[in-house]
Order: sequence, then structure tokens, then C-alpha cells
Amino acid sequence: MANSRWRMGGSTFIGILIMIVFLFPVYWMVKTSITPVTELYHNPPHILPVGATFESYINNFVRNQDMVGYIGNSFIIAIGTMVLSLLLAIPAAYALARLPIKGKGLMMISVLSIQMLPGIMMAMPLYIMFSKVQLIDNFAGLIFADLIHSLPFAIITLRPFFLALPGGLEEAAMIDGCNKFSSFTKIILPLVMPGLMTVAVFCFLFGWGDFIFALTLTTSNSVRPLTLGLYRFIGQYGTEWNNLMAVATIAALPIIVIFISMQKYVVGGITAGSMKD
Amino acid sequence: MSHKSAVSGSREQFRRARWFSSWNNYLFVVPALIFMVVFIGFPLLYNLMLSFQNVNVYNLSGKHDFIGLSNYMKSLKDPVFYTALQNSAVFTVLSIFFQFTIGFALALFFNQKFPGRNLFRSLMLLAWMLPVVISGTIFQWMMSGDFGVINYFLQALGIIDQPINWLSEGSTALLSTVVANIWIGIPFNMIILLSGLQGLPEHLYEAAKLDGANRLVQFRHITLPLMRPTILVLMILGIINTFKVFDLIFIMTAGGPVTSSTVLPIYAYQLSFATLEFSQGASVSMIMFLILIVISIGYLRMSSKEEVH
Repeated sequence: MANSRWRMGGSTFIGILIMIVFLFPVYWMVKTSITPVTELYHNPPHILPVGATFESYINNFVRNQDMVGYIGNSFIIAIGTMVLSLLLAIPAAYALARLPIKGKGLMMISVLSIQMLPGIMMAMPLYIMFSKVQLIDNFAGLIFADLIHSLPFAIITLRPFFLALPGGLEEAAMIDGCNKFSSFTKIILPLVMPGLMTVAVFCFLFGWGDFIFALTLTTSNSVRPLTLGLYRFIGQYGTEWNNLMAVATIAALPIIVIFISMQKYVVGGITAGSMKD
Repeated sequence: MSHKSAVSGSREQFRRARWFSSWNNYLFVVPALIFMVVFIGFPLLYNLMLSFQNVNVYNLSGKHDFIGLSNYMKSLKDPVFYTALQNSAVFTVLSIFFQFTIGFALALFFNQKFPGRNLFRSLMLLAWMLPVVISGTIFQWMMSGDFGVINYFLQALGIIDQPINWLSEGSTALLSTVVANIWIGIPFNMIILLSGLQGLPEHLYEAAKLDGANRLVQFRHITLPLMRPTILVLMILGIINTFKVFDLIFIMTAGGPVTSSTVLPIYAYQLSFATLEFSQGASVSMIMFLILIVISIGYLRMSSKEEVH
């Protein structure tokens, strides 16, 4: 008994070591962001913060407001991607799981193979198409592009949640006077809430983290998200790493908040989205 | 009484059947379907068409000629194409090998019961959830030549004598992006493998223990064979996702110095958005797509054989 307690303690200790090594890059981002310029080029570098300051946050988010605009754009794109993905994916996943329709197999195969498409392969034809219909440099254009990956993901992830519900739910709802659409919204949807949360979290992440479409389908700062802001910042300020890491930390913040508050949905989403069917 | 209920029962069944199999079922899938046709199917066809034409930025709005396979021929004659193909192969194979082995080791470790394991497990996911642009920027800073912390660690451990400019030297640029990509991919591999491990039947291990099989024997003869389907899916997903990595490399090295870390997606990007040879870029992304299709078909055949066994 004592022996196994020692072993468990040992495993926890090794676990802590693994965490320290593995999460070092995240720590280093935050640490660099609060490092004063004079400390930044200290050789050898201090691993723990020395003379911590919020100067770089003040410089980039209070004195200079450019980044604030990028943050707002990121939220618009991420929330837009999330809402539109859910609106389109929920009914589609429901029908593919529970309604008798023709061509289900074909639809599932197409949805699965869309996930395989390289982003850059879609970016170029979209660029030419969007330039013809004024969707370049446009929030809607970016959201549509992000949906190329988030919509198939959402359908694939949601379908098993609908499949797992007991049969006969719709019949019971019908006997109680619901029609097909009200039974779907009133009876079925509340039962798959956890699935909806998972999908919402991931679609938000897709929108927030997108880079390739932001890079190729925008031409001005009015719609550019924070990921692109960060990239352009590298080009402009080169080696002011404390400023860069402050921007990176702020860009990571919503992800960290979502991650902490929605943990169980996140783990579920990874396994469901990649393994089912 | 019984007669009456039988009649209403069959009427009920009839109503139910009609309720289920009517045309308005399709209303549920039509919005998603329209979206996919317009924003995925159409661009794909357009890309295919472009790859057989001679469209570039100068003649975009004019008339285009059908030039057959010329773009493909031109791509296949370009030495940069082969550099990119080779870099893609190196990037994919090395990334997957290390993501998988480290991820598997961690999954086995976290499959034990000890205090804090759930917390650790989910903390690791943070690395995977960060937008790639952020991870790429962090690694760019850590790997910088003058004040990068990685050079500091390696020097302190006596592994290197002189600081190395990891990202601006041709011999290390691609490998540096591989290291960053391994870091990003480990948690994903770990979580998938862990969920596979947790589904394995406990009693097999207990029986093996009774037979005196040690941990290694158990791993080889129980864990590995039972995990085969999970491993297969993970491998194919890994290959597809790694083969199309663009952001990370674009952020860290932009494919350079010269072409030393140019992978196929970067090459396609440069043709389409830097030199603005749209048709040429389309042909490269079609070739990339064909490679992915071949890999996926190989996977499907492998997994269907798996089911027969």
C-alpha cells in the first residue's frame, strides 16, 4: 500500500516535470511580454522575470490603438464563424443522423473529404471569385472562407450526438402535437446541448486562429484579425520581442479563457471530431 | 374496442410514416448543401479549370486559352517543385514520427492513475489549441540566434559551443519548423491515443498478469494489436494535416532561406500570391490534392482490409 502511494507520488512528480518542459514556450511568451527592454537582451537570459513591467501592453493596447481594432475584427470573424457554422450544421447533422433522406452516404463522404482540402488550394480560387463579387476585404468573405473547414467539422462532430439519442423521441413529440420543426427545436436540440457547446468552442477557435484566409483575402486593416496583425507586427518591429509577445499573449487570452472555462467540451470535441465514422 | 384501436393504430402508423418520409426532410440539409456547393464545390472546379488555362494577374479579366497540361508540365520541370516535394516529405515524416512516439509515451504515462493527471492532461491541450500564428511566433523568438533561449539551454548543457541561427541557416531552417510542429501535434496524438487506451478491456491485462507477462510483453501483445485501428486513423489524419501545414512555416521562415524550408503549400502560395501566376499555382495545388487523395485511398483500403480480418 505504502509502495503504491510512493509510486503515485513519483508519477505526479514526473507529470509536473513534463508540464514544466512542455509548457515552457507558453511561459516564455508571457515572461517575455513583461520583460523591460533593458532586460530583453541580457546574456545569459534570466529564466525568471526580473523587473517585470506592463510597458509593452500599455504601448500596444493603450497608447497605440491599432491592435484594438484587430481584436475587434477577430471577435467579429470568430463569432460569425461560430454562429453560421452552427446554423448550417445543426439541421444538416440532425437530418443525416435521424431522418430518412436519399444520398446520405454520398454527403457524409463529401463532408469527410472536404476536411482534407489544403487551405491554400481554396484560397486562390476564392481570391479570384471574391474579387469579382466584392467579397475581398469583407467580414462576410472571411467568415465564408473559414466555414470551409468549420462546417464539415461541425457536421461530423454533431452527428454522433443526434445518433446517440433514443429512437422514438420524434414520434412522442408528434403525438404531443409538435410538427417536425418544433419537435426538432423544442425536444431534440436541448438534449444535444453538450455537443453544441463543443462545436461552438471549436468553430470559434477556427475563426479566431485563421491565418491563411486573412492573409490572402484581405487588403486593408479594416477587417484584418489579430493573427494577421501579429504577423505584420513581426515585419514592422523585427526584434522588439517584448512587444510582440505582449500582442501574442493578448491574442492567446481568449483561447486560454475558453480553454479553462470549457475544458470538458474541448477534450470531447477532439476525440469526437476525429474518430467517429 | 380492440377493433377500433387497431384501425386508429394503422392510421397512426400511416401518419407516422408520412411524417418521417416527406420532402421537407431535405429542408434540413439544403442550407448546408448550398453553402458547400457555392463555397467549396465551385472553387474546387474553378481551381481545376484554372490549372488547364493560362491565367495570371495581367489577363485575369480577359479571355483565357485552354492550354492542356502545360502548367503541370512546367511545374514538373521546375527544380523548386522537387525541393518542395522533398521538404514536404521530410517535414511530414519527421513530424509524424516524433509526434506519435512522444504522444504515445505520454498517453501510456497519463493512462496510469495518479493525483493531478486530469489537470496535466488538459493543460497539455493548451499547446494544441493556441492559434498556429502564436506558436510560430513564440518558436521564432525562442530559436532566434542572438538572444534565443534555446541556444542558451543548448550551450548551458554543452550540446553546442556557438549560438546557431536556427531559422536563417539553410541546414537548420526546415528542422526548426519540424520541432515547432512536433510541439503543436503532441497533445493531439496523446489525447486520441489516451482515449483509445481507456477503451481497452481491463480483464485482458489482469489475465496476462496472472500468466506472468511483464509490462513489455503486455504492451506488445495486448496494447499494440488492440490499438491498431486507432493508430491507423491517427496516422492518416496526421499525414493529411501535416502535409498541408502552411501557417507555421510561413510565419517562422516563409519557406527560406532561399528554398530550404519551402514545402508544397508554400510553393503554391508563392506562385499564386507572390508571382501571381494563378494557373501555375492551381496546377501545384492540384498535384498536392492528388497526393492527398492517393494517401487517403491507401488508408481506406488498409482500413477495409483491417475490417475483413
